[in-house]
Amino acid sequence: MTVKRKPNIAVEGLTGCAGELLVILENLDQLLPYVHLSRFPFAQSGNESGPVDITFVEGSVSQPHDLEKLLKIRKESRYVVAVGNCAVWGCVQKGSCQNCSARSMLEAVYGKDSQIEILPPSALDEHVKVDVKLSGCPIDATQFLAVTASLLKEQLPYITHKPVCLECKLHENPCVLIEKNLPCLGPVTAAGCGALCPGLGAACYGCFGPCEEPQMAAMALILEEKGYDMLEVLNRLKTFGAPAELFERMTKVEQK
Amino acid sequence: MADDEKSTKQVIQLAEICRVEGHAAVDVTIDNGKIESVKLNVFEGTRFFERIVLGHKYDEMPHITSRVCAICSTGHVLAAIFAIERAFGFEPCHRELLYRELMHLGMIIESHATHICALALPDFLKTPDILDFATKHPVEFDTWTQLRKLGAAIQTTIGGRPFHPVNLHVGRLSSYPGSDKLTPILTSLNNHREMAINLANVVLSLKPPMDKTTETSYLALVPRGDHYGYFGSEVKSTDGWHCSINEYKQYLSEVVVPYSHAKKSSSRGQTFMVGAMARLALFGDRLGEDARAIYQKSPLAAGSKNTVLNNLAQAIELVEAIQRAIRITETLINLDNADKMVEDVTGEHSDFCHQPPFVARAGESAGAVECPRGTLYHYYKIDDKGTITSADMVTPSAQNTARIEADIRVVVEEQMGKVSENELTNNLETLVRAYDPCNTCATHMVQVKFK
Repeated sequence: MTVKRKPNIAVEGLTGCAGELLVILENLDQLLPYVHLSRFPFAQSGNESGPVDITFVEGSVSQPHDLEKLLKIRKESRYVVAVGNCAVWGCVQKGSCQNCSARSMLEAVYGKDSQIEILPPSALDEHVKVDVKLSGCPIDATQFLAVTASLLKEQLPYITHKPVCLECKLHENPCVLIEKNLPCLGPVTAAGCGALCPGLGAACYGCFGPCEEPQMAAMALILEEKGYDMLEVLNRLKTFGAPAELFERMTKVEQK
Repeated sequence: MADDEKSTKQVIQLAEICRVEGHAAVDVTIDNGKIESVKLNVFEGTRFFERIVLGHKYDEMPHITSRVCAICSTGHVLAAIFAIERAFGFEPCHRELLYRELMHLGMIIESHATHICALALPDFLKTPDILDFATKHPVEFDTWTQLRKLGAAIQTTIGGRPFHPVNLHVGRLSSYPGSDKLTPILTSLNNHREMAINLANVVLSLKPPMDKTTETSYLALVPRGDHYGYFGSEVKSTDGWHCSINEYKQYLSEVVVPYSHAKKSSSRGQTFMVGAMARLALFGDRLGEDARAIYQKSPLAAGSKNTVLNNLAQAIELVEAIQRAIRITETLINLDNADKMVEDVTGEHSDFCHQPPFVARAGESAGAVECPRGTLYHYYKIDDKGTITSADMVTPSAQNTARIEADIRVVVEEQMGKVSENELTNNLETLVRAYDPCNTCATHMVQVKFK
């Protein structure tokens, strides 16, 4: 006769702003009845080593230390869940790196002789198999709890990546792109936030990362028609880590 | 110490410090009983924000720079907004500033509550993990949960979400929460006033595990108005000088150190401290009655510079933040109700802010706010199209680094050989943690190696 043990979970951070760690910390009281918190160095000193059922990983891979840690996490975890834009897309550190090399940034900030070891900022799935990707900047607490609940039942969660526009329609928000000519990125950004910015009358700036099949060329065209400079538009579209391949078709169109 | 004795090098290493925001380690090398070096190594991955923002438009600065750090994201957003508005020569209206201040106090409440209860207190309560903390110390755990939720609720009401706010922009909020949304905040603030006072009294009763840390000077922004506060455009030092924040490069120097990703600051060649202790040392006489009562019976009022008392300084600020937030919320509710009465009579909705909106233009300026951990500077140079051409950020934790190292040296000198190795390591961790260093989140067990 075996006593059923609580699943072991771990929460780890790579290079990021600790936002997801904070969201998880804030919702920990709801998880603790169902899981054993094996590791969470941000929040506690008594941490265990060894295999766990689920590891939630925040942050991008931006230095060799991050990569070593991620490889170890993958080896020791049944499920690896990438949480937050940094882990899923690479967030602002990757978005802006698409215009220049990581080395040039290092030299600009720390000087030419800097000994700091860096890697080009990258998402987790560029290095290891990731079982679940939950984006957001920060992640939505309800989505996080739903993902965890699914995994505790051994089900991979279903996460939609419909555009923010859909949530705007559901909330009956006036369209800030059409009516106020704001540079709203809602049409190409994944929902999950509840259309937060347009709901307050501001432009969505893309912090949840791209939606499914984002029409970057059409988005850029609309903004250009509204008087925004194309370089500015591309900067805005790439800020929160949307990968370069999403813009390939656009460059081809421009070249013709 | 005899020179002919065999060299006995000793290394005290805190490999990775837990319960701080950031990956950081401490290395103390001791040779023949003398401290050879003290190194605080912040090995948090670098993200080059000063470079990332170049080429982006001014209106993107608040939301890009908020990603430097989640827990003080509101501070980064406001520092960016203030810097850009100053570059444009724009002064926000009074009510706008009250909304921003309330938002900022929400961050202070949330951040201080988390640091005091969840990060610092476990050292004194000797509790190793969250489950142990939650089950054996339910009162403290509940205090943390409730105060943190209060801070988060304020920031959500004004900023749109608990951190990385979306409602704050250069010039003005995109949407102003009215009395219907502010009233529940006011109720909650009033309900937690007593709880914050109790927490401060608990922290007041804790004894620091070392007698002294280094002598230091303190730097903080001179708060606007005549109350205790976190916004200003001039910095003051306990050494007797004050200066415009636009001159920050004159009084702060940042150097890159080979062993760390955090730049190291000094002020006119001296180590210094920013944060709650510095603010109280300079402006403690501006506290409201609740906080003043606790401050006056604390060793801080008597001039103690023991860094571990920074936990207490934060607890006092938490009390002050609630009292000030109550006043602001009441004011905003009254103003909003008065507006609604006028609207009822005239049938027209009028904008409360009568000044003309800002005009984007070429310029440069620094902007600063007092974050939970100290003064945060943002600096931008903007061209005539509104594009950022140069940027700089000086964070509180970087400013404190040099003093943290100096403090570690003093404590090791005082306690080496007198307390067990284990106790010394724990005490050093408590010391570093008291700074509430925000290097963004650390990992596993502290490893101590005595060679």
